[in-house]
Amino acid sequence: MKAVVLAGGKGEGLYPVTQGVQKEAVEVCGKPIVMYSVSGLYDAGIREFIVVINERDDIINAIRESNVEADFEFVRQRQGGITGAINTGLDYVDDEYILVFGDIIAENSFYTSLLNAHQGGEPTFALVPVSRGLNTYGLAKVEGGKFVGLTERESTLALGGAYILRKEKFDDFSLYLRRAVGNYFVWSGLWFDIGYPEDLLRSIRGLLSDAKTTISRRAKVASTAIIDKGVFIDDGAVIDEYAVIRGPAYIGKNSYVGNFSLVRNFSCVERNSSIGAYVEISNSSIQEGVEIGSKSYINHSIIGKKARIGASVVTASYPATLIRGEENKLGALIAPLARVEHGKVLPPNSIISERES
Amino acid sequence: MCGIIGIVSKRDEKASLLLTCLSRLEYRGYDSAGVVVMGKEGMKVVKSVGSVENLSRKFNIDATKGNVLVGHTRWATHGGVTDYNAHPHLDCAGKIAVVHNGIIRNFKELREQLQSLGHNFNSETDTEVIPHMIEHFMKMGEREFDAFKKAVNLLQGTYSILAVIGDRIYFARKDSPLVIGLGEDKFFIASDISAFLQYTKRVIILQNGDIGYVSPGGIYIENGGREVDYVKATIQITWNAESASKEGFPHFMLKEIHESPLSVKETIEGLRSDIENVRNVTRLIESAKDVFLISAGTSYHASFLFSILLQREGKRALPVISSEWYNYPKADLVIAVSQSGETMDTLLAMRHFKELGSTTVSITNVMGSTISREAEYRLYMRAGPEISVAATKTFTSEIALFYFLKEMLYGDVNRLEGVHAVMEKSIQMEGYVKDIAKFLSLKENCYYLGRGLGVPLAMEGALKLKEIAYVHAEAYPAGESKHGPIALVEKGFPVIFIDDGEVINGERKSIILEGNVKEMEARGADPVIIGYNSSLSSRLSVNVLGEPGYGPFAISPLIQLLAYYTAVERKYNPDRPRNLAKTVTVE
Repeated sequence: MKAVVLAGGKGEGLYPVTQGVQKEAVEVCGKPIVMYSVSGLYDAGIREFIVVINERDDIINAIRESNVEADFEFVRQRQGGITGAINTGLDYVDDEYILVFGDIIAENSFYTSLLNAHQGGEPTFALVPVSRGLNTYGLAKVEGGKFVGLTERESTLALGGAYILRKEKFDDFSLYLRRAVGNYFVWSGLWFDIGYPEDLLRSIRGLLSDAKTTISRRAKVASTAIIDKGVFIDDGAVIDEYAVIRGPAYIGKNSYVGNFSLVRNFSCVERNSSIGAYVEISNSSIQEGVEIGSKSYINHSIIGKKARIGASVVTASYPATLIRGEENKLGALIAPLARVEHGKVLPPNSIISERES
Repeated sequence: MCGIIGIVSKRDEKASLLLTCLSRLEYRGYDSAGVVVMGKEGMKVVKSVGSVENLSRKFNIDATKGNVLVGHTRWATHGGVTDYNAHPHLDCAGKIAVVHNGIIRNFKELREQLQSLGHNFNSETDTEVIPHMIEHFMKMGEREFDAFKKAVNLLQGTYSILAVIGDRIYFARKDSPLVIGLGEDKFFIASDISAFLQYTKRVIILQNGDIGYVSPGGIYIENGGREVDYVKATIQITWNAESASKEGFPHFMLKEIHESPLSVKETIEGLRSDIENVRNVTRLIESAKDVFLISAGTSYHASFLFSILLQREGKRALPVISSEWYNYPKADLVIAVSQSGETMDTLLAMRHFKELGSTTVSITNVMGSTISREAEYRLYMRAGPEISVAATKTFTSEIALFYFLKEMLYGDVNRLEGVHAVMEKSIQMEGYVKDIAKFLSLKENCYYLGRGLGVPLAMEGALKLKEIAYVHAEAYPAGESKHGPIALVEKGFPVIFIDDGEVINGERKSIILEGNVKEMEARGADPVIIGYNSSLSSRLSVNVLGEPGYGPFAISPLIQLLAYYTAVERKYNPDRPRNLAKTVTVE
């Protein structure tokens, strides 16, 4: 069976982190988001992928860099919207196919479950329990042991972004879902639909919650640095003297954590980033190639790719307004390549886009 | 539900291969089993009541060889559990052997027609019409495949069918699953990939309307008269065998909770089709001065609930914990309730009361089990096989059965038509329950409080939490909580309230319970509300709305899901509770 992976969305919910960067190429714990579904499907035995993308090449690069040995066909979306994206991909499948949203982060076994749930004949839908921001999901109605379309209220079972469908062009995919009938299964394991900043930060929490400390042999950790439980330090990372990594946390390839800095509580410092001295980072995602000046405090924030944060920049995170969050905390969202001047104090829910700065 | 498996090989295979595959399908049913082995000496058919292991012991067929092998493991829903009713079924000449999963709705008419043509039937099953129909069409001059197709065309209902004729297995699929496995020198065809995943990982998932055959030389599939390109449809499986039988659900327990609305529907339909028998039992209840309901564990809680329903109607009914039977005198009527029908404590208690002269009725899920055989009257839950150690769908089916009896006695059984829909609504609240479970997973103790029917439900909720989430939970009638238990309540102590939306003496239960919630809150407790048409409110609550009177049906899936998600949050496997077995066959 072939999989159609949708990875050409606008990523508006993550704005401005997705300014100039494709959402599904944003990294979480050392892996572009799209690779979670691709490797999950690969693990479930899928070897042929149709990846629907927009005009950007981020996804092509992300998948090629991952060295997954499968057939990837990258097709540029011809019509707009989700319906357009699916219809574009449909030209490349035979009959039954797997439709996957490339912005889902789930355990690999989620996709195995999808295949196990499929009984042939009818389509199969993955459902997941949700409780916050219900109106941002497609909520499923179940009846007689079947999925019987969507409902506006009275359901907390959301469509899980992974389906097995028969080849047929859609006039309107959301209208199709509203009336679709098929098999379903409920997934109670890790699952995040990365629609909003809080989803990305929560996914780090989920992915790292059981992490055991692993330090690459090719990483360099100073003898005075303290590495706590649940810390993953990737190849080529450097942890300088007296730095503390309080797990769970991830320190990406070739990144640098300066003297006396503290990285803690579900933070990801992605590859090639540089954290200066005396910096504290908590509950945050620091994307690839970011530089953070000394004495900064970054919490509940997402710093976009190659952004530059000056010295003594402080993010405040409470009280914030969230759509799907469990706690009312969100700091700053900073666009790729943006610059934040020295000494700035950013209030909760701050948005720093590239041009403003 | 039944499990079927066929193997066609280029060389002779031992029956032990088939039996290994067949035993992997026992989760689909395990009350009888049968196999066909087609070898050089012709067709050998053995079948028997009991497990696959029992079959292999009884007939010592492990070493029997053949190149076409077919097996079946049965879960009886209609028609008793007997050797005759076990599959495979044969035609008159004994040349065509058929196994089938599903239900053929028009079998009675087909059977009458075939009987008028001189065909002899040995069983009460719907399946047996199939080999005779194929035989009939072959006698009319049709070739094997055409005869098979003609026979299948006449069937109404749901099916996956395997028919052995010569060295071929003919198959057809409609609404019941069937998959083909492509091995090195052999083909497999089964209800589920887990049957053969150990031997091959190349698989074709058959579609509705697919019909064809598997022979040593290859596979042929057609649909709607057109050949299907099976090479294109072949997929490579890389996942493990155990997970396939859960049909995508991470655990059997969650799968079975999701099956429970359908199971309840089956329970009610089953009782309707067995109405004479039900009437016998309701007559016994009516005429009995007192009724004992003997049971253990989850069944005890369902029995307790039933006893409340009966007592409210003025009937003296007492739930008796099976192992405590010796404290009680004789009752006119004793109803023994056990999912497996093999619970040793319940069996011994039933025997004891039978000796004293009580009339005995059994309520079991497994047909033909010891308790159902030894009781004078028997009713069945028909909830389908339950694999999860923690009982879920059998609890709701027991409740449905008890409500059916109650409505037969004092009301109108048509009132039960909406109960499965209420359960579906309730299951859709899963996300909120998961949220409560996140909170509960951080606690080591909790209280479960309710009133009236809420008391047995609270007890069941507490049992579930203990069984699989290892949270110490204690159930009390809410009014009793201030007579002692409240002493333990301190800041952050979780107290779960069950509000089934009943009206007691003209007052809504929410209003009565509100006082209890307040007195717990005043001591710092964190109240959790699990409600049906409830007006209670709390930071942690889940409430289902629906027609009055269905409270237990709405509440049961919620308390089961709460225990399930609490276990998952605590990183325990709900399907493998420590120290517990599905069927307790020791005293």
